[in-house]
Amino acid sequence: MSRTSALSRLVAPAAARHLRLSSGLGLAAGLLWPVQAGAIAWAIPAWIDGRWAAGLWAAALFLGAALIRAGLEALAARRAYRGADMVITEARGALLDREVVQLSGGVSSAALGAMVAQKLPLLSPYLTRYQTAMVRVMVLPLLYLCLVFPVSWAAGLVLLVAGPLIPVFMALVGMAAKEASDRQMAEIGDMNALLIDNIAALPDIRLLNATERARTDFAARAEALKTRTMAVLRVAFLSSTVLELFAALGVAMVAVYVGFSLLGEIPFGAYATPLTLGQGLFLLLMAPEYFQPLRDLAAAWHDRAAAQSVADELETLAARPAEPILGTGGLAEAIPGPATLAMTSVAVQRGTRRLALPEITLQPGEMVVLAGPSGAGKSTALDLAAGLLRAGEGEIMVAGQVLDGLTADGWRARIAYIPQAVRMPDAPLRDILDPHGRGGDMTAALQAARADHVVAALPEGLDTRLGETGAGVSGGEARRLLLARAFLAGAEVILADEPTADLDHATARQVIDALAALKGQGAALLVATHDPELMHRADRVVRIGEDAA
Amino acid sequence: MRQLWRVLRLLWSARPGGMWRGAILSVVVLVMGAALLGLSGWFITATGMAGLAGVGIAFDVFRPSAGVRMLALGRAAARYAERLLTHDATLSALAVLRLDLLKRLSARPLAELRQLRGGVALTRITADVDALDGVALRLALPIAAALLTHGFAFLMLWWLVTLPVALTVTAGYLGGAGVILYRVGRRGFGPSSRAEAAGQEMRRAAIGLFRGQRDLILQGRMPAARAALTGAETEARAAHDLLDRLDARAGLALATLVALVTTAVMLLALHAVQSGAAQPAAAAIGVFAALALAETVMPLRRGLAELGRMRDAAERVLSQPETVVAAPKALQAPDTAAGLRVQGLTLTRPDRVKPLVEGLSFVVAIGETVAIRGESGSGKSTLLDVLARVTPSDGAVHLLGQRLEDYPEDQLRRLLTLVPQRSALMGGTIRQNLALARADVSDDAAWQVLRAVALDGVIAERGGLEAMLGEGGAGLSGGEARRLVLARALLRRPAVLLLDEATEGLDDVTARKVLSGIRETLPEVALLLAAHRHAELEFADRIIQL
Repeated sequence: MSRTSALSRLVAPAAARHLRLSSGLGLAAGLLWPVQAGAIAWAIPAWIDGRWAAGLWAAALFLGAALIRAGLEALAARRAYRGADMVITEARGALLDREVVQLSGGVSSAALGAMVAQKLPLLSPYLTRYQTAMVRVMVLPLLYLCLVFPVSWAAGLVLLVAGPLIPVFMALVGMAAKEASDRQMAEIGDMNALLIDNIAALPDIRLLNATERARTDFAARAEALKTRTMAVLRVAFLSSTVLELFAALGVAMVAVYVGFSLLGEIPFGAYATPLTLGQGLFLLLMAPEYFQPLRDLAAAWHDRAAAQSVADELETLAARPAEPILGTGGLAEAIPGPATLAMTSVAVQRGTRRLALPEITLQPGEMVVLAGPSGAGKSTALDLAAGLLRAGEGEIMVAGQVLDGLTADGWRARIAYIPQAVRMPDAPLRDILDPHGRGGDMTAALQAARADHVVAALPEGLDTRLGETGAGVSGGEARRLLLARAFLAGAEVILADEPTADLDHATARQVIDALAALKGQGAALLVATHDPELMHRADRVVRIGEDAA
Repeated sequence: MRQLWRVLRLLWSARPGGMWRGAILSVVVLVMGAALLGLSGWFITATGMAGLAGVGIAFDVFRPSAGVRMLALGRAAARYAERLLTHDATLSALAVLRLDLLKRLSARPLAELRQLRGGVALTRITADVDALDGVALRLALPIAAALLTHGFAFLMLWWLVTLPVALTVTAGYLGGAGVILYRVGRRGFGPSSRAEAAGQEMRRAAIGLFRGQRDLILQGRMPAARAALTGAETEARAAHDLLDRLDARAGLALATLVALVTTAVMLLALHAVQSGAAQPAAAAIGVFAALALAETVMPLRRGLAELGRMRDAAERVLSQPETVVAAPKALQAPDTAAGLRVQGLTLTRPDRVKPLVEGLSFVVAIGETVAIRGESGSGKSTLLDVLARVTPSDGAVHLLGQRLEDYPEDQLRRLLTLVPQRSALMGGTIRQNLALARADVSDDAAWQVLRAVALDGVIAERGGLEAMLGEGGAGLSGGEARRLVLARALLRRPAVLLLDEATEGLDDVTARKVLSGIRETLPEVALLLAAHRHAELEFADRIIQL
């Protein structure tokens, strides 16, 4: 039950109104079918009796009812779409509101991207098709039975028996559909997994000269997959065939009963003896529609499974402990005051561990090194200083003010952060160095950061696209480019995480020189490092995680 | 559109017999559905008239009622068979489509293939083939079935009812539905391809936002990035809304068409009865058939609304080049004693202009082990790529006495094997993974190379050569996967073996064991290691500093 509620919690009242209205319109459309059936049942006896005017009126009634029904169904479809769109947009908005301002711990950017763009839309078929079909199943067959029984209890009984009551049918439908959804996953999922696996291995396949072999292999495996899938399908289709068979047999039995009854060979079952032709035709036309909602529901069944797994995944994401950053991550006026930092008795909860940090202070023109074993909290300290994490205890003062939601954005406007693993965004280098498009000459900044020859080696210089799909830069190059950005932005506080890790001596030297140049300009530097050379150049070394006392 | 046609032919060719039989069975299902309702209507009307006339006893009730039951059972059976056949044929078609794509992709330069491993590129490709899966099942089959059914229905209605009724049903449904669906297809073209593009853009923007989250926050650009994402979302929603409106309108138009055709048949039937051209019972067949045949046109709208998306996907998939460039002729008896010789090589990274190294010269003789040392980014991997002709060189490399460029691909890969830093395993058994290197690998040969890389114990523990690996070799640890990749390369028995960070992820003892295992297995091989760890450098006969 909790799984269903994960889905229903996603539907806000406004969207629910749309969806209810859609279901209502769909029901109203369903109510018009008996009118159409009645019109035909009226028309045919009229031809026989030569009541031509009545035949014309019946045709007009049929047309009118059919047109209104078509209109109602179209309106219902649009309403359902709007409701579903609202649900999806709201769920996406809530997800983004939460995730963009908390460092996505444990969840990959690819997973979040897939959720935003690919998985959330899977809610739509469930909301537009399954839910409305469910409402129709609950109401229409019962209602049609109410119309059939007054005409002929025998025909009514046939329908009642042919569809051995809704719950039994529902179980059948459920079985058919569960296998249908398994099938979808099996056939499409596996075939694509096979394809992805093969594409990822293509370079190796080429190097091993195994192109032909891999292709034969793929074909053989696809064939084996097909054989397996078909074995499942043979059973899965049986259940839905039973559903269709019952529907067809219901129609056939009603037709045969009505025929014999009209001939007077079956004297029971109706209240008017014998059954009239018009009544008989009406019964025949009601029979297939009696089963239609069930078939719609069966066709939409696997939509629910898909939607449920999306809703579950959303809940799991939302259930993570919230760790929002300070501030909005937006552009703000730099807070005034000298660029100082002071962390006193700060502690944070990392998972189950309480991490207490020593006192850290930083003055303009000063380089403080944070040293200590890996995992001791050096990076955490830098994140705290940038307002990317919230301190559970203690106080962080920046530029003489408390670092909180109001000051964080303005504080970040004054700092530059050099992470250990730089992830270059997928953008031209010029835009990366000058994210706010302030313009101006970059030569001096690039020189100061020892990054001018990095740019010179790129095929299109500052216009080269970097990132996942563009040109790559090595770790040392990326760090120097970010230092150039710090020069360019006139950053007054530099936070650097292992700026010389994994670099050869010459490159490390250049990074250290660039840091020193920033310090020379009066910037305050807080550097987490193991590098003895950097420690040597520091004004002070603060040890973290070691028993400093 | 020509591309879509080509995709359809490709899909159909996977199992033409199955597709045709499936199409014919879909026709049988539709015809039987119409016949069931038509016969039932006729039966009831005829019995009603006979009852009124008091001639009920003379009426032959058994054949029609048997017919009704037969049609009911037959329709269900035909439906079952149709679904099995079309799914069987479709599954074959899916495989053929993916095989064709693989063939096209594998003709691309190796360096490009490496970029395909990125998540975005793979999602793009699978989204495209998914879109094309519907071409046969949702587009071609229903259209073919509708056309054939109406051809048959026309003849039957002409025979049983009247020509005007038959004409109204066939011309009304085919003509009307043709116009409506043509318009849906045309109008949906733009929105459907826009919706797909905007969806991909939204995904790209979202991944970019979360990948660069820290930087965006620190630069104060998170609200701007969020706004850009919302922009892509708005665009996607607008396109989808347009598509849905089109779809709803098409549904409305088709339902109206059904109403109009049925009403027209009611009026024509009335006229036919009035003028004595048809019996009332026969005329009733027309009305019921008209109602039942609505089933032929209603399902078509879904496939057509996706037309734009399908066409775009077809263009992207088919735009991959089809044939490999003609390979040069095989070289005569390469000098197996010559090893690998590099003379005056200029090394430039593919995305750079400035060369990394100029005038690089060295020789790796047969049976010799040479290590290349250099800091990260100094060009070790770039050098191995050039030596393995993953990226082109300028004639400075000679393999076994011949210019590297002169080898045909096939011969080159037989003589030289490169194990790059990122090597992929595939889902399947250990044996299948090894068989990529040598199709007819014997158990003895397989165990020998596994022993050489100190992996025999691990594999035996996991159930031997038939042990299954998950996608991308999941189930093995990083170091185990690395060693299996090395074992696979040993099976090639090349004259020259290039290893990029061969023992990455292995502890020192194992690394040494693996290296000597490689040398013992291939005593003659010219071995070049791009190395940075001690065990590898120590193992080499000579070290080249980049």
